[in-house]
Amino acid sequence: MRQIRPRQNYLGVGGWVWAGNYKLERYLYILHRVTGLGILLFLLVHLIVTTFFRIQGQEVWEKAMTVLNNPLFKTGEFLVAVAFVYHALNGLRLLLQELGLLMAKPIPPIYPYSDSLRKKRLWTMAIIGIIIILCLVFFYDFIVGGW
Amino acid sequence: MDKQKTEQITFRVQRYNPENGSKPYIQEFIVPSSRGMTVLDGLIYIKENLDSTIAFRASCRMAICGSCGMLINNYPHLACHTQIEEFHSDRLTIKPLPNFPIIKDLVVDLTPFFEIHKAIKPYILRNDLEEMENPVSEYAQSHQELENFLQFTYCIKCGICVSACPTSASDKLFHGPQALAQCYRYCADNRDDGELERFPVVGTDHGVWHCHLAGACSESCPKGVDPALAIQLLKRRLVSRTLRLGKKKPPASTVPPPAQSKSKLPFPEFAVKQD
Amino acid sequence: MRYTYLWLMQLVTGVLIAVLLGIHMVMQHLEDILGFFRVNLNDPASWQSMIERSRQVIWAGIYIALLAVVLYHALNGLRNVILELTPSVRTERVVTRVIVAFGIIIFAWASYVPIALLSR
Repeated sequence: MRQIRPRQNYLGVGGWVWAGNYKLERYLYILHRVTGLGILLFLLVHLIVTTFFRIQGQEVWEKAMTVLNNPLFKTGEFLVAVAFVYHALNGLRLLLQELGLLMAKPIPPIYPYSDSLRKKRLWTMAIIGIIIILCLVFFYDFIVGGW
Repeated sequence: MDKQKTEQITFRVQRYNPENGSKPYIQEFIVPSSRGMTVLDGLIYIKENLDSTIAFRASCRMAICGSCGMLINNYPHLACHTQIEEFHSDRLTIKPLPNFPIIKDLVVDLTPFFEIHKAIKPYILRNDLEEMENPVSEYAQSHQELENFLQFTYCIKCGICVSACPTSASDKLFHGPQALAQCYRYCADNRDDGELERFPVVGTDHGVWHCHLAGACSESCPKGVDPALAIQLLKRRLVSRTLRLGKKKPPASTVPPPAQSKSKLPFPEFAVKQD
Repeated sequence: MRYTYLWLMQLVTGVLIAVLLGIHMVMQHLEDILGFFRVNLNDPASWQSMIERSRQVIWAGIYIALLAVVLYHALNGLRNVILELTPSVRTERVVTRVIVAFGIIIFAWASYVPIALLSR
């Protein structure tokens, strides 16, 4: 009998990005990853600006600030602030749940099954509520303080 | 859908023939289905009446053997446990479980899945080898100690959680929610003393620490085993052992067999009160 | 055991970042909100305010601490994401070494700047 080589069937990075019919926590996982990588990219640019341009004195700094003061970069700063708020509060939720503190107790499954993430979804919703409130606070300040 | 009335449902099944070596393709079948028919019933109808070359696994048809895991309308289900009516659609797309190699049509290769399950030593380990290999008595386990891990014993090893996991989608060395949940099931069993043997296997980069709590495994599990809960409790156990927090309970003691009673009757004798 | 410590450090640095970066964000962006609480910051992004801060040891300390925890958390997270793409064992070792070297170089340069500015 000829040896058959099975065909690879991994979803790859598509499995990270496409959340399909799954529930809330899968989307929170995708956003956590995206905001983390986004903040990392911003960090590299931010470090270059605050070290290279800072150390060269006042004129270089003020010139850099006038370039960076237009609405496109201000929107980028707002998005970074929102990303930080989301990543921090979702990270707090992950810290509590991954240490088992915000998860349900193991009980024998009775149909219809309800997993412990679904049982604690009220807490997850509360944390998302806090995220939205803080994002609105930052939004208000960006609008008032000049975009 | 009425039990007497039948509707014509289109089954779009992904076919793949390894002997041709070509790419997978979708083949459509029209299946008459009525209320109460499962997707597996539809596949068996296709095999008996329309195309007998279609390959799929099925055995118990009652969601206990774990053979018939498939991707139905882009969500992993057990085919025998899924009613055609619950999709409220006249088109069903059936594909094999992702994150496993495909052998033919809807049959996937579960050998790596079982190899990882074996690597985490899914059996009771005791320090006393003689007692472990040749047991002569029972272990003491209260009902509360059983409830700590009973939920995770209901796993039927169907592989649906591994298909749902986003980490398993890209990380080929990841153990998968099933192996990690079964590792916790044995570590939490108070009869077991094998934590130190299992922790170096799962407490690695490609082990438990690549789980980021997406929760898809628990959501899609057809038996309500909740592997996500088991994995987070396993992380908790790993952290408390590494930091040496908390007291480690000794494993369950053995209970000697009851003493032989003098009576030959199968029930204990009691005296009848004479008035 | 080593991997457990790496993950625990991710948690600990995460909490520290939430505190330190929270201070940094509130100071830089939320001046109007702080104005409600009668805390007046005098435009932290202006040159004058930056000169004043760069002369204080405590701000240099806060910035260096923030840099250390952010670099650890971000680079460890990046390493986890790259390792999930399952490179070969040799590539894993190369990636780890590149990330560690990158982290050390960036930390050394970006913590030299506040210390050098203390005396200017």
